[in-house]
Amino acid sequence: MRALDTAATGMAAMDLQVQVIAGNIANMSTTGFKSQRAEFQDLIYEHVQRIGAQASDQGNILPVGIELGSGVKTVGTPRLMTQGALLQTGNQLDVALQGDGWFKIQMPDGTFTYTRDGSFKQDSQGRIVTAEGNIVQPTITIPQNATGLTVNNQGQVSVTVPGSTTSQILGQFTITRFTNNAGLQAQGSNLFTQTPASGNPQDGLAGTDGAGTLQQGFLEQSNVEAVTEISNLIAAQRAYEMNSKVITAADEMLQTTAQLMR
Amino acid sequence: MENMLLVGLSRQVALGQELEMIANNVANIDTNGYKADKTLFSEFLSPRASDQTFNGRDQRVSFVEDRGTFVNMAPGAIQRTGNPLDVAIDGNAFLVVQTARGQRYTRNGALQINGAGQLVTSNGDQVLNNGTPITFQNTDHNIVISGSGIVTVQEGNSTADSPRGTLQLASFPNPQLLEKDGASTFMAPAGVNPNPAPAGTAIVQGAIEKSNVNGVAEMARMIEITRSYTDIANILSQEGDLRKNALSQLSQAPTAGS
Repeated sequence: MRALDTAATGMAAMDLQVQVIAGNIANMSTTGFKSQRAEFQDLIYEHVQRIGAQASDQGNILPVGIELGSGVKTVGTPRLMTQGALLQTGNQLDVALQGDGWFKIQMPDGTFTYTRDGSFKQDSQGRIVTAEGNIVQPTITIPQNATGLTVNNQGQVSVTVPGSTTSQILGQFTITRFTNNAGLQAQGSNLFTQTPASGNPQDGLAGTDGAGTLQQGFLEQSNVEAVTEISNLIAAQRAYEMNSKVITAADEMLQTTAQLMR
Repeated sequence: MENMLLVGLSRQVALGQELEMIANNVANIDTNGYKADKTLFSEFLSPRASDQTFNGRDQRVSFVEDRGTFVNMAPGAIQRTGNPLDVAIDGNAFLVVQTARGQRYTRNGALQINGAGQLVTSNGDQVLNNGTPITFQNTDHNIVISGSGIVTVQEGNSTADSPRGTLQLASFPNPQLLEKDGASTFMAPAGVNPNPAPAGTAIVQGAIEKSNVNGVAEMARMIEITRSYTDIANILSQEGDLRKNALSQLSQAPTAGS
Protein backbone atom coordinates (compact mmCIF):
# COMPACT_ATOMS: atom_id res chain seq x y z
CA MET A 1 0.00 0.00 0.00
CA ARG A 2 1.62 3.23 -1.20
CA ALA A 3 -0.09 5.34 1.46
CA LEU A 4 2.42 3.93 3.96
CA ASP A 5 5.41 5.31 2.03
CA THR A 6 3.68 8.60 1.30
CA ALA A 7 2.88 9.18 4.96
CA ALA A 8 6.45 8.20 5.85
CA THR A 9 7.79 11.02 3.64
CA GLY A 10 5.42 13.35 5.50
CA MET A 11 6.74 12.19 8.86
CA ALA A 12 10.35 12.59 7.71
CA ALA A 13 9.60 16.13 6.51
CA MET A 14 7.98 17.10 9.81
CA ASP A 15 10.89 15.56 11.68
CA LEU A 16 13.23 17.84 9.72
CA GLN A 17 10.92 20.81 10.31
CA VAL A 18 11.15 20.23 14.07
CA GLN A 19 14.96 19.98 13.78
CA VAL A 20 15.12 23.31 11.99
CA ILE A 21 12.83 24.93 14.57
CA ALA A 22 14.97 23.47 17.38
CA GLY A 23 18.06 25.02 15.79
CA ASN A 24 16.33 28.39 15.55
CA ILE A 25 15.04 28.37 19.11
CA ALA A 26 18.42 27.23 20.45
CA ASN A 27 19.97 30.26 18.70
CA MET A 28 17.41 32.79 19.84
CA SER A 29 20.02 34.86 21.60
CA THR A 30 22.99 34.17 19.33
CA THR A 31 24.40 37.45 18.02
CA GLY A 32 23.93 37.87 14.29
CA PHE A 33 22.10 34.56 13.88
CA LYS A 34 19.78 34.28 10.88
CA SER A 35 16.83 31.97 11.27
CA GLN A 36 16.34 29.04 8.94
CA ARG A 37 13.17 27.82 7.35
CA ALA A 38 12.45 24.38 5.93
CA GLU A 39 10.82 24.51 2.52
CA PHE A 40 8.87 21.59 1.12
CA GLN A 41 7.55 20.61 -2.28
CA ASP A 42 5.34 17.79 -3.45
CA LEU A 43 6.95 14.73 -5.03
CA ILE A 44 6.21 13.35 -8.48
CA TYR A 45 2.72 12.26 -9.47
CA GLU A 46 1.57 9.08 -11.04
CA HIS A 47 -0.93 9.97 -13.74
CA VAL A 48 -3.14 6.89 -13.56
CA GLN A 49 -5.50 8.51 -16.02
CA ARG A 50 -4.37 11.62 -17.84
CA ILE A 51 -6.48 14.72 -17.94
CA GLY A 52 -7.68 15.36 -21.46
CA ALA A 53 -7.42 11.74 -22.54
CA GLN A 54 -10.00 10.61 -25.04
CA ALA A 55 -12.86 8.91 -23.24
CA SER A 56 -14.88 7.55 -26.12
CA ASP A 57 -14.86 6.97 -29.84
CA GLN A 58 -17.04 10.05 -30.20
CA GLY A 59 -14.10 12.15 -29.07
CA ASN A 60 -15.24 12.97 -25.54
CA ILE A 61 -12.38 14.32 -23.49
CA LEU A 62 -11.93 13.43 -19.83
CA PRO A 63 -12.37 16.62 -17.84
CA VAL A 64 -10.50 15.17 -14.88
CA GLY A 65 -7.74 12.62 -14.59
CA ILE A 66 -6.45 10.50 -11.77
CA GLU A 67 -3.27 11.87 -10.25
CA LEU A 68 -1.74 10.11 -7.29
CA GLY A 69 1.05 11.93 -5.52
CA SER A 70 3.86 10.18 -3.75
CA GLY A 71 4.52 12.51 -0.84
CA VAL A 72 6.69 15.44 0.06
CA LYS A 73 10.36 16.35 -0.18
CA THR A 74 12.47 18.97 1.50
CA VAL A 75 13.87 21.31 -1.08
CA GLY A 76 16.05 23.40 1.20
CA THR A 77 16.52 25.15 4.49
CA PRO A 78 17.33 28.70 3.38
CA ARG A 79 18.06 31.41 5.90
CA LEU A 80 15.89 34.48 6.28
CA MET A 81 18.27 37.37 5.83
CA THR A 82 16.14 39.96 7.57
CA GLN A 83 17.68 42.49 9.94
CA GLY A 84 17.91 41.48 13.60
CA ALA A 85 17.07 43.98 16.33
CA LEU A 86 19.96 46.10 17.63
CA LEU A 87 20.82 45.67 21.27
CA GLN A 88 22.70 48.48 22.98
CA THR A 89 25.68 47.15 24.91
CA GLY A 90 27.85 50.25 25.32
CA ASN A 91 30.91 48.13 24.62
CA GLN A 92 33.18 50.14 22.29
CA LEU A 93 34.21 47.08 20.24
CA ASP A 94 30.66 45.89 19.68
CA VAL A 95 29.60 46.85 16.15
CA ALA A 96 26.26 46.07 14.58
CA LEU A 97 25.69 46.01 10.83
CA GLN A 98 22.46 47.67 9.88
CA GLY A 99 21.54 46.68 6.34
CA ASP A 100 23.12 44.34 3.85
CA GLY A 101 26.67 43.02 4.09
CA TRP A 102 29.06 40.90 6.12
CA PHE A 103 32.22 41.44 8.14
CA LYS A 104 35.19 39.71 6.52
CA ILE A 105 37.19 37.46 8.82
CA GLN A 106 40.52 35.76 8.15
CA MET A 107 40.76 32.22 9.44
CA PRO A 108 44.05 30.75 10.75
CA ASP A 109 44.51 28.86 7.44
CA GLY A 110 44.37 32.12 5.48
CA THR A 111 40.89 31.62 4.01
CA PHE A 112 38.13 34.16 4.49
CA THR A 113 34.82 33.68 6.22
CA TYR A 114 31.99 36.14 6.72
CA THR A 115 29.92 36.99 9.77
CA ARG A 116 27.20 39.34 11.00
CA ASP A 117 28.39 38.93 14.59
CA GLY A 118 30.18 42.18 15.47
CA SER A 119 31.13 41.40 19.06
CA PHE A 120 34.82 42.06 18.47
CA LYS A 121 37.70 41.89 20.94
CA GLN A 122 41.36 42.90 21.05
CA ASP A 123 44.05 40.26 21.06
CA SER A 124 47.40 40.47 22.88
CA GLN A 125 48.94 42.39 19.96
CA GLY A 126 46.12 44.93 19.91
CA ARG A 127 44.52 43.59 16.73
CA ILE A 128 40.73 43.61 16.37
CA VAL A 129 39.59 39.98 16.37
CA THR A 130 36.40 37.97 16.75
CA ALA A 131 35.54 36.26 20.04
CA GLU A 132 37.39 33.22 18.69
CA GLY A 133 40.55 35.18 17.92
CA ASN A 134 40.25 35.34 14.12
CA ILE A 135 41.35 38.62 12.60
CA VAL A 136 38.72 41.03 11.30
CA GLN A 137 39.71 42.33 7.84
CA PRO A 138 41.60 44.49 7.20
CA THR A 139 43.90 43.97 10.17
CA ILE A 140 43.47 46.96 12.45
CA THR A 141 45.95 47.25 15.32
CA ILE A 142 45.06 49.48 18.24
CA PRO A 143 48.10 51.15 19.85
CA GLN A 144 48.61 50.13 23.46
CA ASN A 145 47.99 53.45 25.15
CA ALA A 146 45.24 54.66 22.83
CA THR A 147 41.98 55.93 24.26
CA GLY A 148 38.60 56.94 22.89
CA LEU A 149 38.15 54.17 20.33
CA THR A 150 35.45 55.19 17.87
CA VAL A 151 33.88 53.30 14.99
CA ASN A 152 31.84 55.55 12.74
CA ASN A 153 28.93 54.64 10.44
CA GLN A 154 31.30 53.97 7.57
CA GLY A 155 33.37 51.58 9.68
CA GLN A 156 36.37 53.86 10.16
CA VAL A 157 38.16 53.03 13.41
CA SER A 158 39.83 55.97 15.09
CA VAL A 159 41.57 56.48 18.44
CA THR A 160 43.21 59.26 20.37
CA VAL A 161 46.83 58.69 21.36
CA PRO A 162 48.40 60.48 24.34
CA GLY A 163 50.02 63.77 23.46
CA SER A 164 47.68 64.39 20.57
CA THR A 165 44.39 66.23 20.58
CA THR A 166 43.13 64.98 17.24
CA SER A 167 41.96 61.47 16.66
CA GLN A 168 43.90 59.21 14.36
CA ILE A 169 42.22 56.88 11.84
CA LEU A 170 43.57 53.33 12.15
CA GLY A 171 41.63 51.67 9.39
CA GLN A 172 38.22 50.93 7.95
CA PHE A 173 36.31 47.64 8.21
CA THR A 174 35.73 45.76 4.98
CA ILE A 175 32.06 45.04 4.38
CA THR A 176 31.48 42.23 1.89
CA ARG A 177 28.27 41.77 -0.03
CA PHE A 178 26.96 38.74 -1.87
CA THR A 179 24.37 38.53 -4.62
CA ASN A 180 22.59 35.71 -2.81
CA ASN A 181 23.07 35.87 0.95
CA ALA A 182 20.92 32.79 1.42
CA GLY A 183 23.44 30.82 -0.65
CA LEU A 184 26.23 31.17 1.91
CA GLN A 185 27.24 28.04 3.75
CA ALA A 186 27.11 28.10 7.53
CA GLN A 187 30.32 26.98 9.22
CA GLY A 188 29.13 27.24 12.80
CA SER A 189 30.55 29.82 15.22
CA ASN A 190 28.41 32.44 13.37
CA LEU A 191 30.71 32.16 10.36
CA PHE A 192 29.71 31.66 6.72
CA THR A 193 31.72 30.82 3.61
CA GLN A 194 31.02 31.54 -0.04
CA THR A 195 29.58 28.90 -2.37
CA PRO A 196 28.78 28.88 -6.10
CA ALA A 197 25.19 29.71 -5.10
CA SER A 198 26.11 32.82 -3.15
CA GLY A 199 28.04 34.45 -5.99
CA ASN A 200 31.47 35.98 -5.57
CA PRO A 201 32.22 38.22 -2.60
CA GLN A 202 32.23 41.93 -3.39
CA ASP A 203 34.43 43.69 -0.88
CA GLY A 204 33.38 47.24 -0.20
CA LEU A 205 32.86 49.76 2.52
CA ALA A 206 29.95 50.36 4.86
CA GLY A 207 27.36 52.76 3.52
CA THR A 208 28.39 52.48 -0.13
CA ASP A 209 27.01 50.45 -3.02
CA GLY A 210 24.12 49.09 -1.04
CA ALA A 211 26.13 47.90 1.96
CA GLY A 212 24.68 48.65 5.39
CA THR A 213 26.06 51.05 7.96
CA LEU A 214 27.72 50.30 11.28
CA GLN A 215 26.55 51.15 14.79
CA GLN A 216 29.16 51.21 17.51
CA GLY A 217 28.11 49.99 20.94
CA PHE A 218 25.33 47.82 19.55
CA LEU A 219 25.02 44.15 18.66
CA GLU A 220 22.70 42.68 16.07
CA GLN A 221 20.49 40.15 17.79
CA SER A 222 19.20 36.94 16.30
CA ASN A 223 16.25 37.44 13.92
CA VAL A 224 14.44 34.38 15.29
CA GLU A 225 10.86 35.23 16.22
CA ALA A 226 9.76 33.10 19.14
CA VAL A 227 6.04 33.32 18.37
CA THR A 228 6.51 32.20 14.77
CA GLU A 229 8.76 29.34 15.81
CA ILE A 230 6.40 28.08 18.49
CA SER A 231 3.36 28.22 16.23
CA ASN A 232 5.35 26.40 13.53
CA LEU A 233 6.38 23.83 16.12
CA ILE A 234 2.76 23.18 17.08
CA ALA A 235 1.79 22.84 13.43
CA ALA A 236 4.72 20.48 12.73
CA GLN A 237 3.91 18.29 15.70
CA ARG A 238 0.26 18.01 14.67
CA ALA A 239 1.21 17.29 11.07
CA TYR A 240 3.56 14.54 12.26
CA GLU A 241 0.72 13.06 14.29
CA MET A 242 -1.68 13.19 11.33
CA ASN A 243 0.85 11.45 9.10
CA SER A 244 1.25 8.71 11.69
CA LYS A 245 -2.56 8.35 11.74
CA VAL A 246 -2.50 7.79 7.99
CA ILE A 247 0.01 4.99 8.54
CA THR A 248 -2.29 3.51 11.19
CA ALA A 249 -5.24 3.71 8.79
CA ALA A 250 -3.31 2.02 5.99
CA ASP A 251 -2.17 -0.62 8.44
CA GLU A 252 -5.75 -1.25 9.59
CA MET A 253 -6.90 -1.64 6.02
CA LEU A 254 -4.12 -4.12 5.30
CA GLN A 255 -5.02 -6.01 8.45
CA THR A 256 -8.66 -6.12 7.41
CA THR A 257 -7.63 -7.53 4.07
CA ALA A 258 -5.40 -10.11 5.69
CA GLN A 259 -8.24 -11.24 7.94
CA LEU A 260 -10.45 -11.95 4.96
CA MET A 261 -8.47 -15.09 4.37
CA ARG A 262 -9.22 -17.83 6.81
CA MET B 1 -23.54 -14.56 -6.19
CA GLU B 2 -19.91 -14.05 -7.20
CA ASN B 3 -20.89 -10.50 -8.14
CA MET B 4 -20.96 -9.60 -4.49
CA LEU B 5 -17.25 -10.32 -4.13
CA LEU B 6 -16.43 -8.27 -7.18
CA VAL B 7 -18.60 -5.30 -6.21
CA GLY B 8 -17.02 -5.30 -2.76
CA LEU B 9 -13.58 -5.52 -4.31
CA SER B 10 -14.23 -2.56 -6.63
CA ARG B 11 -15.14 -0.47 -3.58
CA GLN B 12 -12.06 -1.59 -1.67
CA VAL B 13 -9.74 -0.76 -4.54
CA ALA B 14 -11.31 2.69 -4.84
CA LEU B 15 -11.01 3.28 -1.10
CA GLY B 16 -7.38 2.17 -1.16
CA GLN B 17 -6.66 4.71 -3.86
CA GLU B 18 -8.44 7.45 -1.96
CA LEU B 19 -6.37 6.73 1.12
CA GLU B 20 -3.24 7.09 -0.99
CA MET B 21 -4.44 10.51 -2.03
CA ILE B 22 -5.18 11.53 1.54
CA ALA B 23 -1.69 10.33 2.52
CA ASN B 24 -0.26 12.67 -0.12
CA ASN B 25 -2.40 15.57 1.08
CA VAL B 26 -1.42 15.06 4.71
CA ALA B 27 2.26 14.67 3.77
CA ASN B 28 2.02 18.06 2.05
CA ILE B 29 0.17 19.84 4.84
CA ASP B 30 3.16 22.16 5.29
CA THR B 31 4.16 22.57 1.63
CA ASN B 32 3.91 26.18 0.46
CA GLY B 33 1.44 26.70 -2.36
CA TYR B 34 0.26 23.07 -2.31
CA LYS B 35 -3.28 22.41 -3.55
CA ALA B 36 -5.13 19.43 -2.11
CA ASP B 37 -6.43 16.60 -4.29
CA LYS B 38 -9.89 15.15 -4.01
CA THR B 39 -11.40 12.04 -5.61
CA LEU B 40 -14.56 11.58 -7.59
CA PHE B 41 -16.31 8.24 -7.66
CA SER B 42 -18.84 7.11 -10.15
CA GLU B 43 -21.11 4.15 -10.56
CA PHE B 44 -20.11 1.69 -13.19
CA LEU B 45 -23.06 -0.33 -14.45
CA SER B 46 -22.08 -3.68 -15.79
CA PRO B 47 -23.53 -4.66 -19.11
CA ARG B 48 -26.42 -7.05 -18.79
CA ALA B 49 -25.23 -10.60 -18.36
CA SER B 50 -28.44 -11.96 -19.76
CA ASP B 51 -30.26 -12.09 -22.99
CA GLN B 52 -33.81 -10.87 -23.54
CA THR B 53 -35.00 -14.43 -23.76
CA PHE B 54 -34.62 -15.05 -20.04
CA ASN B 55 -37.85 -15.05 -18.15
CA GLY B 56 -37.24 -12.94 -15.02
CA ARG B 57 -35.69 -9.47 -15.44
CA ASP B 58 -32.02 -9.40 -14.61
CA GLN B 59 -30.84 -6.63 -12.32
CA ARG B 60 -27.85 -4.71 -13.59
CA VAL B 61 -24.92 -4.84 -11.22
CA SER B 62 -23.28 -1.56 -10.31
CA PHE B 63 -19.63 -1.26 -9.35
CA VAL B 64 -17.68 1.64 -7.92
CA GLU B 65 -15.09 3.28 -10.10
CA ASP B 66 -12.80 6.12 -9.18
CA ARG B 67 -13.42 8.38 -12.08
CA GLY B 68 -10.88 10.97 -11.35
CA THR B 69 -9.07 13.20 -8.94
CA PHE B 70 -9.45 16.93 -9.01
CA VAL B 71 -7.42 19.65 -7.45
CA ASN B 72 -8.99 21.93 -4.88
CA MET B 73 -7.83 25.32 -6.14
CA ALA B 74 -9.06 27.22 -3.08
CA PRO B 75 -6.42 29.62 -1.74
CA GLY B 76 -4.33 28.50 1.21
CA ALA B 77 -3.78 30.56 4.34
CA ILE B 78 -1.46 33.53 3.89
CA GLN B 79 1.34 33.60 6.45
CA ARG B 80 3.32 36.79 7.05
CA THR B 81 7.05 36.10 7.02
CA GLY B 82 8.54 39.57 6.56
CA ASN B 83 11.03 38.12 4.07
CA PRO B 84 11.21 40.53 1.08
CA LEU B 85 11.59 37.62 -1.35
CA ASP B 86 8.39 35.88 -0.25
CA VAL B 87 5.35 36.62 -2.38
CA ALA B 88 1.78 35.41 -2.06
CA ILE B 89 -0.74 35.75 -4.87
CA ASP B 90 -4.08 37.20 -3.83
CA GLY B 91 -6.33 36.04 -6.64
CA ASN B 92 -6.72 33.27 -9.12
CA ALA B 93 -3.33 33.28 -10.87
CA PHE B 94 0.02 31.50 -10.96
CA LEU B 95 3.64 32.60 -11.13
CA VAL B 96 5.31 31.52 -14.37
CA VAL B 97 8.63 29.70 -13.90
CA GLN B 98 11.09 28.24 -16.36
CA THR B 99 12.12 24.69 -15.47
CA ALA B 100 14.34 22.28 -17.33
CA ARG B 101 11.13 20.56 -18.45
CA GLY B 102 9.60 23.74 -19.87
CA GLN B 103 7.37 26.50 -18.55
CA ARG B 104 5.51 25.63 -15.39
CA TYR B 105 3.07 27.44 -13.12
CA THR B 106 3.28 27.65 -9.35
CA ARG B 107 1.61 29.28 -6.37
CA ASN B 108 4.70 28.70 -4.20
CA GLY B 109 6.13 32.18 -3.72
CA ALA B 110 9.14 31.36 -1.51
CA LEU B 111 11.64 32.94 -3.90
CA GLN B 112 15.42 33.18 -3.73
CA ILE B 113 18.20 34.87 -5.66
CA ASN B 114 20.75 32.54 -7.23
CA GLY B 115 24.49 33.09 -7.62
CA ALA B 116 23.96 34.74 -11.01
CA GLY B 117 21.58 37.27 -9.44
CA GLN B 118 18.45 35.77 -10.97
CA LEU B 119 15.15 35.53 -9.13
CA VAL B 120 14.44 31.80 -8.74
CA THR B 121 12.18 29.44 -6.82
CA SER B 122 13.71 27.40 -4.02
CA ASN B 123 14.14 24.67 -6.64
CA GLY B 124 16.37 26.96 -8.71
CA ASP B 125 13.83 27.52 -11.49
CA GLN B 126 13.86 31.04 -12.93
CA VAL B 127 10.85 33.23 -12.22
CA LEU B 128 9.88 34.84 -15.49
CA ASN B 129 9.13 38.37 -16.61
CA ASN B 130 7.63 38.17 -20.09
CA GLY B 131 9.61 35.05 -20.88
CA THR B 132 12.97 36.28 -19.55
CA PRO B 133 14.45 35.84 -16.08
CA ILE B 134 14.53 38.75 -13.61
CA THR B 135 18.16 39.58 -12.91
CA PHE B 136 19.57 41.74 -10.14
CA GLN B 137 22.83 43.71 -10.22
CA ASN B 138 25.53 43.15 -7.62
CA THR B 139 24.84 46.46 -5.90
CA ASP B 140 21.05 46.13 -5.77
CA HIS B 141 19.38 46.29 -2.40
CA ASN B 142 16.01 47.10 -0.81
CA ILE B 143 14.00 44.89 -3.13
CA VAL B 144 10.38 45.96 -3.29
CA ILE B 145 7.68 43.99 -5.11
CA SER B 146 4.54 46.02 -5.70
CA GLY B 147 0.97 44.79 -5.67
CA SER B 148 0.99 44.49 -9.43
CA GLY B 149 4.22 42.48 -9.33
CA ILE B 150 6.68 45.20 -10.37
CA VAL B 151 10.10 44.47 -8.86
CA THR B 152 12.09 47.59 -8.00
CA VAL B 153 15.42 47.96 -6.22
CA GLN B 154 17.76 50.68 -5.13
CA GLU B 155 20.99 50.43 -7.03
CA GLY B 156 24.31 51.25 -5.35
CA ASN B 157 24.29 54.61 -3.62
CA SER B 158 21.27 55.85 -5.54
CA THR B 159 18.06 56.40 -3.63
CA ALA B 160 15.91 56.27 -6.76
CA ASP B 161 13.96 53.10 -7.59
CA SER B 162 15.21 51.15 -10.57
CA PRO B 163 12.80 48.59 -12.07
CA ARG B 164 14.07 45.05 -12.56
CA GLY B 165 11.00 43.52 -14.19
CA THR B 166 7.49 42.40 -13.44
CA LEU B 167 6.49 39.03 -12.06
CA GLN B 168 4.66 37.29 -14.86
CA LEU B 169 1.29 35.94 -13.80
CA ALA B 170 -0.87 33.48 -15.66
CA SER B 171 -4.41 32.35 -15.08
CA PHE B 172 -6.49 29.60 -16.62
CA PRO B 173 -10.22 29.67 -17.31
CA ASN B 174 -10.37 26.04 -16.17
CA PRO B 175 -7.48 25.34 -13.79
CA GLN B 176 -8.68 21.72 -13.46
CA LEU B 177 -7.06 21.05 -16.81
CA LEU B 178 -3.62 21.65 -15.30
CA GLU B 179 -1.55 18.64 -14.36
CA LYS B 180 0.47 18.46 -11.20
CA ASP B 181 4.12 18.15 -12.06
CA GLY B 182 5.76 17.70 -8.67
CA ALA B 183 7.99 20.34 -7.05
CA SER B 184 4.84 22.43 -6.34
CA THR B 185 4.40 23.20 -10.03
CA PHE B 186 1.58 22.68 -12.49
CA MET B 187 1.94 21.89 -16.16
CA ALA B 188 -0.42 23.10 -18.87
CA PRO B 189 -1.13 20.24 -21.27
CA ALA B 190 -1.10 20.91 -25.01
CA GLY B 191 -3.97 23.13 -26.05
CA VAL B 192 -4.39 24.76 -22.65
CA ASN B 193 -3.05 28.29 -22.93
CA PRO B 194 -2.54 30.74 -20.11
CA ASN B 195 -4.46 34.01 -19.96
CA PRO B 196 -3.19 37.14 -18.30
CA ALA B 197 -4.13 37.41 -14.64
CA PRO B 198 -7.66 38.68 -14.04
CA ALA B 199 -8.12 42.24 -12.83
CA GLY B 200 -7.87 42.55 -9.09
CA THR B 201 -5.08 39.97 -8.72
CA ALA B 202 -2.53 41.33 -6.28
CA ILE B 203 0.92 40.26 -5.15
CA VAL B 204 1.58 40.47 -1.43
CA GLN B 205 5.26 40.87 -0.58
CA GLY B 206 6.60 39.43 2.68
CA ALA B 207 3.94 36.76 2.92
CA ILE B 208 3.62 33.21 1.74
CA GLU B 209 0.69 31.02 0.77
CA LYS B 210 0.56 27.87 2.87
CA SER B 211 -0.89 24.54 1.82
CA ASN B 212 -4.70 24.48 1.52
CA VAL B 213 -4.94 20.99 3.02
CA ASN B 214 -7.52 20.92 5.78
CA GLY B 215 -6.16 18.51 8.40
CA VAL B 216 -9.50 17.98 10.12
CA ALA B 217 -11.34 17.17 6.90
CA GLU B 218 -8.61 14.77 5.80
CA MET B 219 -8.64 12.95 9.15
CA ALA B 220 -12.45 12.68 9.12
CA ARG B 221 -12.40 11.32 5.57
CA MET B 222 -9.68 8.87 6.56
CA ILE B 223 -11.76 7.47 9.44
CA GLU B 224 -14.65 7.11 7.03
CA ILE B 225 -12.43 5.22 4.61
CA THR B 226 -11.09 2.75 7.15
CA ARG B 227 -14.59 2.14 8.51
CA SER B 228 -16.17 1.48 5.12
CA TYR B 229 -13.19 -0.67 4.19
CA THR B 230 -13.80 -2.81 7.31
CA ASP B 231 -17.57 -2.90 6.66
CA ILE B 232 -17.03 -4.22 3.19
CA ALA B 233 -14.55 -6.77 4.46
CA ASN B 234 -17.23 -7.94 6.92
CA ILE B 235 -19.80 -8.26 4.17
CA LEU B 236 -17.33 -10.22 2.08
CA SER B 237 -16.56 -12.59 4.93
CA GLN B 238 -20.29 -13.10 5.58
CA GLU B 239 -20.67 -13.90 1.94
CA GLY B 240 -17.87 -16.42 2.31
CA ASP B 241 -19.61 -18.00 5.31
CA LEU B 242 -22.86 -18.16 3.40
CA ARG B 243 -21.25 -20.03 0.61
CA LYS B 244 -19.37 -22.35 2.97
CA ASN B 245 -22.58 -23.23 4.80
CA ALA B 246 -24.45 -23.74 1.58
CA LEU B 247 -21.79 -26.05 0.28
CA SER B 248 -21.53 -28.07 3.48
CA GLN B 249 -25.30 -28.40 3.94
CA LEU B 250 -26.26 -29.01 0.36
CA SER B 251 -23.55 -31.58 -0.10
CA GLN B 252 -24.89 -33.79 2.71
CA ALA B 253 -26.40 -36.69 0.87
CA PRO B 254 -29.68 -37.74 2.39
CA THR B 255 -29.23 -41.03 4.23
CA ALA B 256 -31.61 -43.86 3.56
CA GLY B 257 -34.68 -43.95 5.80
CA SER B 258 -34.60 -40.39 6.98
